[in-house]
Amino acid sequence: MRPNDRKYLKSHEWCKIENGIATIGITDHAVAHLSDLVFLDLPNKGASVKVGESFGEIESVKAVSSLYAPVSGEVVDANRSLPDNLDWLSQEPFGKAWMIKVKVSSQSPDLLDAKTYETHCQAEG
Amino acid sequence: MPYLRLLVDPPAEAAWNMAVDEALLAIAEAPTLRLYAWWPHAVSLGWFQRLADFADLPPGTRIVRRLTGGGAIHHGDELTFALAVDAELLPHEVAASYPLLHDAVKDALASCGIACERLAAGPAPRARPGQRWCFADPGRDDLVTARGKLLGSAQRRVTQPRPRVLHHGSLVLQPPALTPFVASLADAGRPIDRERLRREVAAHVARALGLQVRQGLLSGAEGALAADLCGARYEQAAFTAQR
Repeated sequence: MRPNDRKYLKSHEWCKIENGIATIGITDHAVAHLSDLVFLDLPNKGASVKVGESFGEIESVKAVSSLYAPVSGEVVDANRSLPDNLDWLSQEPFGKAWMIKVKVSSQSPDLLDAKTYETHCQAEG
Repeated sequence: MPYLRLLVDPPAEAAWNMAVDEALLAIAEAPTLRLYAWWPHAVSLGWFQRLADFADLPPGTRIVRRLTGGGAIHHGDELTFALAVDAELLPHEVAASYPLLHDAVKDALASCGIACERLAAGPAPRARPGQRWCFADPGRDDLVTARGKLLGSAQRRVTQPRPRVLHHGSLVLQPPALTPFVASLADAGRPIDRERLRREVAAHVARALGLQVRQGLLSGAEGALAADLCGARYEQAAFTAQR
């Protein structure tokens, strides 16, 4: 079971909201299916992100995948160490491999709890 | 049986080619395979590559940024294809989608009497920051001949509003000027029947996806979006130089 202290998108991003700040990353399921990560691009502090829109990109096996924001708001921090340590995504996708922190103005209506996300992953294979 | 819409386009300018492919990823309603070529010849950079790493190219070299990953390609005389489909048509794991499509191209070439093999071992098929050319260093699942790598591939994947994949493939017909080390269909030493090659690639890719080929045309909406993307993104020097 994945951590139940946060919410998930079907596109495999997670967000943990504390005191109006959402910490956002991607799940172990996403990492496993991407495999062999090479590049990661994250937004700068101060940038705006919007629900359903791309906030960054990641490349694996010559495939660039967009990363989607579970919340709207202003980026207040980005994990600048992560692009140079992409193995963290395999080791601790829910911990030190967090990607950005966002001051939340609104949340996606499609956020799933851990149990529902688990079911989605099983259906997806 | 559901169909694979086939678009066969004449050689076109680099920015237009990339814009059409992005439009297909964004709004094509049917699974679509676009076959095309490049005139004038041009270099396409993988999405994450740095333009500064290509400062030594001859003056006047046309350079465009691709939406897809991987290394740079000098598009000379080649058959390029763009496959834009819902992700559910391909294996869920990104790495597994390459052998499916590469085997389809291998079988298409075999139908044309051209032998090549898919590498079963080797380094993972990924962009290597230290290696700027896509064709320089074959990896696992690449199609190769004794001379080297024959087919370059890369993808863009989106999951909003629904999971979609754009798969780019470049099948070399004659070695391009800037990357003469590549394998090519010309290595077989006999003329290439281009029309037959296009037909076989389309048929085998469609078969791999469980679809039937149906010739089509770019829709008005796709053309309009491509025109917008061409002007706003791919023709813009700042877009090419974004990294």
